[in-house]
Amino acid sequence: MANRYLEIFCREAEEHLASLQSGLLVLERNPARTDLLHELLRNAHTLKGSARMVGLADISAITHTMEEQLKGMERGERKVDAQAIDLLLRGADAVALITSALVRGEAPELDVERFVAEYERGELGQHLHAEPKEHQPEAASDTVRADVKTLDHLVNLVGELIINKKRLEAKLAQLKEIACALPAEHSAPLTTFRGELEEDVLYLDYLIQELHGKAMGLRMLPLRTISDGLERLVRDLAQQLGREVQFQIIGQAIEIDRVLLEGLKPILIHLLTNALSHGIEAPEARAAAGKPRRGTVLLSARHEGNSVLVEVRDDGRGMDPASIRAAAVARGVLDPREADGISDEEALYLTFRPGFSTAEIVTDISGRGVGMDVVKKNIERVKGSVTLASEPGSFTQVTLQLPLTLSVLDALIVACGGETFAIPTTYLQEIVKVRASEIDTLGSGEVIKVRGATTPLYSLPGMLGLPERRDAGDAPLSAVVLKHCDQRIACTVEAHLGYSEVVVKGLGKQFRNVRFLFGATILGDGNPALILNVPDLFESGRGVQRATLSADEAQAAKRRPKVLVVDDSITTRTMEQSILVSQGYAVVTAVSGEDALEKSAEEQFDLVISDVEMPGINGFELTRALRASERYRETPVIIVSSLSRDEDKRQALQAGAQAYIVKGAFDQGLLLETVQMLIG
Amino acid sequence: MGDDNSYDIRTILTQMREDYWLALAEEESEARETLECLVFTLGGKRYAFETHYACEVIRVPKLVRVPAVQSLIRGIFNLRGEITAAIDIRPMLGLPQPEIGPTGRILVVRGDNFATGILAEAAHGVQGLCFDSFEPVATGSGIKAPFVRGHFAVEEGSVILLDMEALLADPELVAGEL
Repeated sequence: MANRYLEIFCREAEEHLASLQSGLLVLERNPARTDLLHELLRNAHTLKGSARMVGLADISAITHTMEEQLKGMERGERKVDAQAIDLLLRGADAVALITSALVRGEAPELDVERFVAEYERGELGQHLHAEPKEHQPEAASDTVRADVKTLDHLVNLVGELIINKKRLEAKLAQLKEIACALPAEHSAPLTTFRGELEEDVLYLDYLIQELHGKAMGLRMLPLRTISDGLERLVRDLAQQLGREVQFQIIGQAIEIDRVLLEGLKPILIHLLTNALSHGIEAPEARAAAGKPRRGTVLLSARHEGNSVLVEVRDDGRGMDPASIRAAAVARGVLDPREADGISDEEALYLTFRPGFSTAEIVTDISGRGVGMDVVKKNIERVKGSVTLASEPGSFTQVTLQLPLTLSVLDALIVACGGETFAIPTTYLQEIVKVRASEIDTLGSGEVIKVRGATTPLYSLPGMLGLPERRDAGDAPLSAVVLKHCDQRIACTVEAHLGYSEVVVKGLGKQFRNVRFLFGATILGDGNPALILNVPDLFESGRGVQRATLSADEAQAAKRRPKVLVVDDSITTRTMEQSILVSQGYAVVTAVSGEDALEKSAEEQFDLVISDVEMPGINGFELTRALRASERYRETPVIIVSSLSRDEDKRQALQAGAQAYIVKGAFDQGLLLETVQMLIG
Repeated sequence: MGDDNSYDIRTILTQMREDYWLALAEEESEARETLECLVFTLGGKRYAFETHYACEVIRVPKLVRVPAVQSLIRGIFNLRGEITAAIDIRPMLGLPQPEIGPTGRILVVRGDNFATGILAEAAHGVQGLCFDSFEPVATGSGIKAPFVRGHFAVEEGSVILLDMEALLADPELVAGEL
């Protein structure tokens, strides 16, 4: 299109034509609604004026005729009947035809001159059966109705196909090994065959990907399907609350998996209710603060990478970190000392803590937060995440990040506790190597520095209660740094096995309340692997950490027996720590004998539990060193070791240990029994 | 009939047909008195349940351990694309737990809510167990035998009939509900 104004005109024309079309259709159903005529007239008139401006005489002529017809109706000189309306619709169709041809830079498929002439005479242009009219019935017959169950089944079957393809790929790799082991004269034809098979599998892979895309597309629905009801909700709420609100929706056409969409609706209702009842101020208050009386609530959706971002933003009073902190302390969500230690941004996330908003009064104190923990839970259920942004007095923005679908995830495969787990990459920040020397203790937990930020460190097998593969001496540990909302944790694993696209399978009703798991997938070798539900790991981690952070518990900790756990294996440390903490002991961990001596000098422990084989001084030497000191002469020491020979036990007792537990037979009952026997 | 010397094909066919129907009738009357059961070994004893609970019997595949669940859920496995649990019900029956060796099998059963795999030390196939030999658990006998409806006294010894309906409905089978 040569003329830039033409482009603008075409866009404007589209809007007017759409409203002409819908208005005329309403009028056709209710000829008595002559009130609509005024708006229709305005549309036709504007179109006429604009067409003249850009020199489109044909459109100007057609719309002029339409305007005349409408004026006649308004004055009551012309009957509002099906025929008259049909004539007007034909006019609108012709204009649409001409503008769409202009956009494409083609000649319109219409004898414009003849049409204009006939139209002015009020004849129905017989030859205007052109594009728009012909297209619609055709489009209608191109669609079929399908049962949602059938679609879901289809998607599942495609998932099975993907798994089967992975098995084929694994077989190809095996075939390569077989060919390698054969003498050259036999292996050559096999290698050729394998090459051909590989190509076939590659093509199959391509076809399956296409099929998967199409199958997923069938389950996608636009956001519009749920947002229609929301406008009404906002309008009604605004009236109830005496607010003036302008509600805008952007990105209604963004498509999301139907399953996710169902989960999204209650969340949006919740967020919009919050925005109106706690965000947008009364008109007088807004005016007094120098804001427009009418508040704005914006719901927007857009794609970002492999996910959809849905934002709810209001220009209301915002969230005040200070009053949120105060409310959190008042609710007992955290103690004052902890409250002072967190940043303003972190304070916003306190609203997600369960128990933050159990009573209505909280809304008065914090200005926000009716059941935000529920929102968070629901978002977690659909594998999404929530971020908050706010400035007191100016705005609040809640951003939901959702995956496009729940049936296939990108995941990092890790080995842990002798099993294979998949971690959805949405929660993955990075993979790090950790050396024992980089591990610090903070309170009862261990931390490492990740890009300068202090990050709690846990053993994944320990958290999951799985046994640990023996650490290979001094070698650095593999750890994954996981993120969730504003939190980060690092979890050690045995190995990373690479990234993979995994097909998510439900675990069925037998596992409906299971912790730590989101589902399972089937790997190339045909064996299942479990998919971790990362938010559960954060819950579990916080449980351990918070034990020493809350004021009441810190008080109790003073009366509680203190145990020092010394082990170079993080799994053992984590396991022993969680066993002891769950029984009310205060636990500090040390990563080596030297570390233990340092820590034992800082505070008095009631009991020491130590491994034998560690880098640096071993457990026996540590025991002897403790016995030699004034403060630890009488303190009981338990040796927990994988060495089971009588010689080792004798050595332990000679060094001054009170008990010896063999790791192979390690069970928490025995450890607790021994601890209780020694220190009660 | 009558004349033995004549070779009357009709008579022979009639005779055969009668024999056939008679045999069928006998089988039917026998069937009314037996219960089709899948027989297997648990804790060294022979147990059984009605075949309509059974989906299939498979060798024990690789089991993937599930974290943070009760010990009777020994793991999950891939049953043609369906993730299925393997459960060891022997503790529920108060039985010892000898190791599941090479003869071990998984009996896949379907309850109202889910399909699950029961680990057994061995499976002995489907047998028709005679009702005449059945002794129900005497109510009030003082012997508490959970999930047992009674036992069949058969030649090879006793076969205990499980109450699968109660067993599959037991909340202990559901992960995380404890």
